[in-house]
Amino acid sequence: MKTTKNHPAWSYFLAFFLLAAFVITSSMLLFLNYFARSAGVEYTRSNLFAAALVTFGNTVFLSLICTAVDILRRKVMVDRPVRAIVEAARRITGGDFSARISPKAAVGASQGFDEIIDCFNTMAAELSGVETLRTDFIASVSHELKTPMAVMQNYGTLLQSPELTEEQRVEYAKAVTEQSRRLAGLVTNILKLNRLENQQIYPQIRRYDLGEQLAQCLLQFEDTWEEKGIDIDTHLEEDVLVESDEELLALVWSNLFSNALKFTDAGGKVFVSLKTQGDRILVSVTDTGCGITPQVSRHIFEKFYQGDTSHATQGNGLGLSLVRRVMDIVGGEIFVESQAGEGSTFTVKIKRAANGEVQKDS
Amino acid sequence: MFKLLVVEDDRDLNRAVCAFLKQSGYDAVGCPDAGSAFDAMYGSPFDLIVSDIMMPGIDGYEFAKTVRSLNEEIPILFMTARDDIASKQRGFRLGIDDYMVKPIDLDELLLRIGALLRRARIAASRKLEIGSLRLDMDQRTAVWDGQEIPLTAREFNILYKLLSYPGKTFTRSQLMDEFWDVETNTTPRAVDVYMTKLRGKFENCPEFEIKTVHGLGYKAVVK
Repeated sequence: MKTTKNHPAWSYFLAFFLLAAFVITSSMLLFLNYFARSAGVEYTRSNLFAAALVTFGNTVFLSLICTAVDILRRKVMVDRPVRAIVEAARRITGGDFSARISPKAAVGASQGFDEIIDCFNTMAAELSGVETLRTDFIASVSHELKTPMAVMQNYGTLLQSPELTEEQRVEYAKAVTEQSRRLAGLVTNILKLNRLENQQIYPQIRRYDLGEQLAQCLLQFEDTWEEKGIDIDTHLEEDVLVESDEELLALVWSNLFSNALKFTDAGGKVFVSLKTQGDRILVSVTDTGCGITPQVSRHIFEKFYQGDTSHATQGNGLGLSLVRRVMDIVGGEIFVESQAGEGSTFTVKIKRAANGEVQKDS
Repeated sequence: MFKLLVVEDDRDLNRAVCAFLKQSGYDAVGCPDAGSAFDAMYGSPFDLIVSDIMMPGIDGYEFAKTVRSLNEEIPILFMTARDDIASKQRGFRLGIDDYMVKPIDLDELLLRIGALLRRARIAASRKLEIGSLRLDMDQRTAVWDGQEIPLTAREFNILYKLLSYPGKTFTRSQLMDEFWDVETNTTPRAVDVYMTKLRGKFENCPEFEIKTVHGLGYKAVVK
C-alpha cells in the first residue's frame, strides 16, 4: 500500500522564505521609492547595506516562524486525521471489519474530514453487517445440513442392530425418511436460491393471466387444506394480466401458500385476494395462523431465519428469502403485516400489464 | 397384475423403487439403462414405464421418444433430478405423461402410477363406470341405472373430464381452453352455466357430485 509522501521541513521553509522575501522586497521597494521621491532623501551605500541586512534577517526569522506554525497546523489539521483514516482502511483491508475512526480525530481538523470520517464509519458498519451475514449463513448452512445427516447416520447405525423390536425398527426407519425429506427440501431450496442469486436464471417475460395462475397454484395445495381442515376463501379479480416470468412468480405464490397452510391450524382460514390499484396489482395471502411478532417480521426475509427457533414446524428458513430474491428480479415488492396470535398477511405488489392479447404457450 | 418397467441407472434407487412397487402389488422390473429396457420390452409387454433422464448411453428423452414411436398408449413417467421448466417441457412435448423430481416420495409415486394406469384404462376402453353410471366416449352417452340421460356434446365432454380425474379441481379457464374454440368470445362464466345444467341433469344420481371450490373452479366428487 502506498504511504502518503512527506515533504521535508526545509522545503516548507524555502517556500515561506521565497514568499516572504518576495512580499517584503516588493513592499520595501514600493515604500522606499515613494519615500525617497517625496522626502528627497539620498541613500548612502553603507546605511542601505545595513538596512538590507536587517531586513534579510527579519525575512529569515519570519519565514522560520511561519514554517513552524504551518508544520504544527498540518500535524493537527491534516496529518492526524489522515493517519487515523489510513490506519482504519488498512485494518479493513486486512479483514478486520470492526475498525472505526474515532470522531476525536476530526476535532480541529480541516473542513471536510468529519464528513469523510462519518462516511467511512458508515461504510465499515455496513461491511461488518455483510460479513456477519456471510459467516452466519455458512454456520446456518452447515448446521442445517449436518443435523439431518447426523440423525440419519445414527438411526442407520441403530437399524443394523439385530435386537430391535418391530416397533423400534419402524420408528427408526420413519425418522430416517423424515430427515432425508427435510434434507432434500433444504438442498433444493439452496440450489434454487443459489441459481437466483447468481442470476443464472434470466427472467423469461411473457404476458399472462395472473388470476388463473393463482387459482392453479392454489389448487396444487388442495390435498393439504382438505387434509388439515382449513377453510379457503378467494377473491380474485378477473382479467388481470401481468408481464413477468411465470415460473419465478409461481415460486412466490407456492411459497406464500405453503407457508400460510403450514402455520394455520385445523379450522383456520386462508384468504387469497387479487386486486388492482391503478397500474399496480396487489396479491395478498392472509392466514389465521400463529402470526409473527414485529421483531420476527423484520428478519423474516433473511436466509435461514425462522421465527420458531425450535424448528418444530418443518421448513428450512429459505422460502421467504427465495420470494424476496424473486421480487428483486421481477421488480416487485413484498410486505408483511402481522399480529402475533392472530395471523399474518403477506402482500405482493407488482406492475400490471396493459390489457390485450394473452400469449399462449409457445 | 400390472407390469411396470423401471429404468434407472442408480442401482440402489432402482432396487428401492422396484422393491416398493412389488410390495405395493405391482410386478416391477428394473433396468439399469435404455438398452436393457428395450430388451426387456421385446420379451414381454409392460403397462407403464418409470424412467430417469440422465443415464449413460441413451438418455431418457431419446428412450421416451423411441418408446412413443412404437407405442402411443403406454404411460411414461419421468423420475429425474432436473427440476427446471425447460426439462419438463421437453419431456411433455415428447409425449410423457407425468414428471416427478428426485428425491421422490414413494407414496406419491404410487398415487401417480395408480392415476396413470386408471386413465390409461379409461383412455383405452373409452368407457367410464362409476357405480351404476356408465359413460361411453364413442357414443357420447351417459346411462344411469339403465336410463339414458341426454347430454350435449360439450356437457358430455366436461363431465367425462371431471369424472376421469375425480377429486381434482379444474379452473374455469382450464375447461374453457379444452372445450371451447380458441376464437370464442364467451367469458369463463359460461362454464358456470354448464355446471348448473349438469347438476340439474344428474340431480338424482347419487354416484357423484359436482362441487364448486371456493371460487377457484369445479371438481367431481365420487361418493
